[in-house]
Amino acid sequence: MQNKRIDTFIMFMAIVFMGAAVFIMGLLPWLGRAHAMTVVTMDGKVVQAQPYTPLEARGRKVYIREGCWYCHSQYVRPVTGEDRRWGPVSQEGEYAYDVPHMFGTRRIGPDLTREGGRVHDDWHYAHHFNPRMVVPDSIMPQFPWLYKGVDANGKPIPTDDAVALVAYIQKLGTNLGPWRKNFLYISAGSSIPTIPADIEGGIQAGRKVFERRCIGCHGDTGNGKGAAAVFLTTQPRVFTDGIFKLRSTPSGSIPTDADLYRTITMGVRGTAMPNWHELTEEDRWFVIQYIKTFSERFKDETPGDVIVIPPEPPNTPEAVARGKIVYDQMKCAECHGVDGKGDGPSAPTLRDNWGNPIAPRNFTHGGTDMKSGPAPQDMYKAFSTGLDGTPMPSYADFLNPDQRWDLVHYVMSFGPPDTYLILTQQEAGDAYGH
Amino acid sequence: MAASQALLENEPLVDAKLVKQWLFWGIIWTMIFPLVGVVVSIKFNYPDWLGQTSWLTWGRIRPMHVNGVIFGAFSTTFFGLVFYMVPKLTGIRMVGEKMGYWCLWLWNIGIVLGSYSLMAGYQKGIEAGDYALWADVPLIIAFIVLTYMVIATIVQRKEKLLYVSLYYVAGAMVWTAINFPLGNILLPYWVPGVNNAALHGLYIHYIVGLWITPAGLALIYFFLPLACKNPLYSHKLSLVGFWSIALFYPFVGIHHYLYSPIPNWTQTIAIVTSMMLIIPVWTVTQNFFGTMMGNWRSLQESFVAKFCIMGSIFYFLGCFQGSTEALRGMQQLTHFTDFVISHSHLTIFGTFVVWTMAGQYYVWPRVTGHALWSKSLATWHFWLIAVSFSVMAGVLTLMGLLQGTMWMDSVEFVDTVVAMKPYWFIRTLSGVGMDIGIFLFMVNMFMTAVAPSPLPETEREKAFVPAAAD
Repeated sequence: MQNKRIDTFIMFMAIVFMGAAVFIMGLLPWLGRAHAMTVVTMDGKVVQAQPYTPLEARGRKVYIREGCWYCHSQYVRPVTGEDRRWGPVSQEGEYAYDVPHMFGTRRIGPDLTREGGRVHDDWHYAHHFNPRMVVPDSIMPQFPWLYKGVDANGKPIPTDDAVALVAYIQKLGTNLGPWRKNFLYISAGSSIPTIPADIEGGIQAGRKVFERRCIGCHGDTGNGKGAAAVFLTTQPRVFTDGIFKLRSTPSGSIPTDADLYRTITMGVRGTAMPNWHELTEEDRWFVIQYIKTFSERFKDETPGDVIVIPPEPPNTPEAVARGKIVYDQMKCAECHGVDGKGDGPSAPTLRDNWGNPIAPRNFTHGGTDMKSGPAPQDMYKAFSTGLDGTPMPSYADFLNPDQRWDLVHYVMSFGPPDTYLILTQQEAGDAYGH
Repeated sequence: MAASQALLENEPLVDAKLVKQWLFWGIIWTMIFPLVGVVVSIKFNYPDWLGQTSWLTWGRIRPMHVNGVIFGAFSTTFFGLVFYMVPKLTGIRMVGEKMGYWCLWLWNIGIVLGSYSLMAGYQKGIEAGDYALWADVPLIIAFIVLTYMVIATIVQRKEKLLYVSLYYVAGAMVWTAINFPLGNILLPYWVPGVNNAALHGLYIHYIVGLWITPAGLALIYFFLPLACKNPLYSHKLSLVGFWSIALFYPFVGIHHYLYSPIPNWTQTIAIVTSMMLIIPVWTVTQNFFGTMMGNWRSLQESFVAKFCIMGSIFYFLGCFQGSTEALRGMQQLTHFTDFVISHSHLTIFGTFVVWTMAGQYYVWPRVTGHALWSKSLATWHFWLIAVSFSVMAGVLTLMGLLQGTMWMDSVEFVDTVVAMKPYWFIRTLSGVGMDIGIFLFMVNMFMTAVAPSPLPETEREKAFVPAAAD
């Protein structure tokens, strides 16, 4: 290398190689096709990705500022079962409005690609205030500077930044449409209880699960007064009373183990109750055995007969029209409003059995927001069993099965059609046993 | 001071004061930013520790550690060594020497402002380019001036033969003078969606692959032959290393985002070029060990050689790990885990920061004119780093494999976090060990500067040993 100008050659080639790489790896894929702005939903529809609202954009800045993205990645890979853990695999169009991107390189905490809609805002406020309130084993930092003082109930008041951050988190993954309706059934597992031969051992195992997962909201005595409860609009279930909303048994009855299993697995939409599908089936069954020890009812009573859900009749305009009559006759609008927005005249006065204010469901959010589940059968079930402990009664004695189905179809007409999980006869039979 | 003054006159090419100032700040940053890493790591086990203040939250000081080690600890020391090495290799004084002093202050202001911008919540969300734009401005200006100084010196050199270190220095400066401004000014604000991720993947890897790697290799190619008093094993082989790095490294960045929605074919190119990096890594390693051949005794005598060889071993391990990590099958298991963190520490700290320490042990006594204050402190430094860092690299690799396996096995997420807690504790202990080593290094260097025992005749500057004619 005696050439005196080897230095210029080196620098020239350095720039050429780097330029070639930037062009081929960074620019060519970008220029080669239109910048992807669309997403294919779970139903195979092509939809436009939605930009961030000003509030969400502000929340994204907080997310960057606090360094959330060093621990939480934002893409679901098509390998190692990630789509069963977090939701559908990521698509290019979902990131159309991300500048800068937040893919991340490390998962010290879980991936947040599909975090939007997983739990109610309340959970996030409690979690950001002190993560160990809701997840005792969490190693996430607290963010007390996102709160200013406490309100009359002792609940820390979120700052505008905190509100924006939660709005951003709730937006994550929602460009894909209502994918959660399908996902809720993922890894639900067997509906046949794995009750341990050694019942006492099972209860002890369940206690461990409870102390690590449930205690933050439901409290160590099951009284629904965990540390995080103050944050929650929909208060945690009080296990000591043995009254449960979501059952397949008649009004007033205790639920079956399978009912509790289903609630734990899928969570309760629109509340802070997360879906626990990542827990092993065994752990879910164990914790049910432990929860049942909180109330004498499970010793003294046996669950009533599981209600029968007949096959769904065709959802026709006539059925919807008949349903509207039922809706009017049963005075559903009294609480849920004539437009199904949950704003009926009595809505502000409603209280649950424990005296907490309780909001009637807003039907315009559709199936993915229903406590009981996203399938029409779930709604039928709720009409038949009522939601014990709330003002929502059972209509089993007032409506015959055809009327209940008509009412289901009318209520469905309030929400976006793609938010309901429509099951085939076969699937419905498998899931609801008729 | 007469003795040291005479010594400096023996080195008329080097502005000893300039080198000393840069190296001084290099030592300071090498002390501070790894220590920030220990604070970050303690929070894994004690998340509420220093957790009530926004300025000290994990998510704000983690980037302070990462950027601080890259731009503070490594880069500041590197520039100090450049001001020693480049005049020696070109046969002329640095072009625009006086500007070097201004650059030091600009550079330090950039590091301080940058760290402040992260703690105060002004960061911009680009990993390895996290500092706020206004903190980048002094860094960018300083870097461009430094690039001009180095390139102009190389172009005007008296020495005909362009030694391999200068290849690497020239490449590193040119690449980074392009990459650093583009990555910090255009990328965070103008490029949307997955293209942002793709270009950011390239940016990160240009920081590690086109800045730290060539800069670090420039150092060891210079200091290793001096330390073991052997000529370089093969200059031709070293050029194979340079050109293969120059060709392959620019393409590998997308391997940070395998299985992401970034177009698959670019991922494949990134994997292939990542595997091709085995060529430079193995030739470079061969060259280092070949250079030591016949004079392994120098390992006993010279701390420069000790740190060069320790860094070379970690280089070989870390870079081979990096290539395999880029394979899809491997990445299914290891990506997003501490395996990645073990790789970044093996390369950035285990290799390149350790090589800057080797350079410090060579240059600091020469520019201060004093013999190394304490050999026993230096020995403690060496062994604390060697043992603690081996533990850290090992435990992080193990954690990555464990947690990755648990994830593949569908274990509930928080359970996999809980399972890591004891290992994180060991990692913190190993980090404390490293920081004690660095502290002893700092004490030793400062005492060398202030306790005047003149450099013995035998350790005085020799003429640079040229490469074997090949």
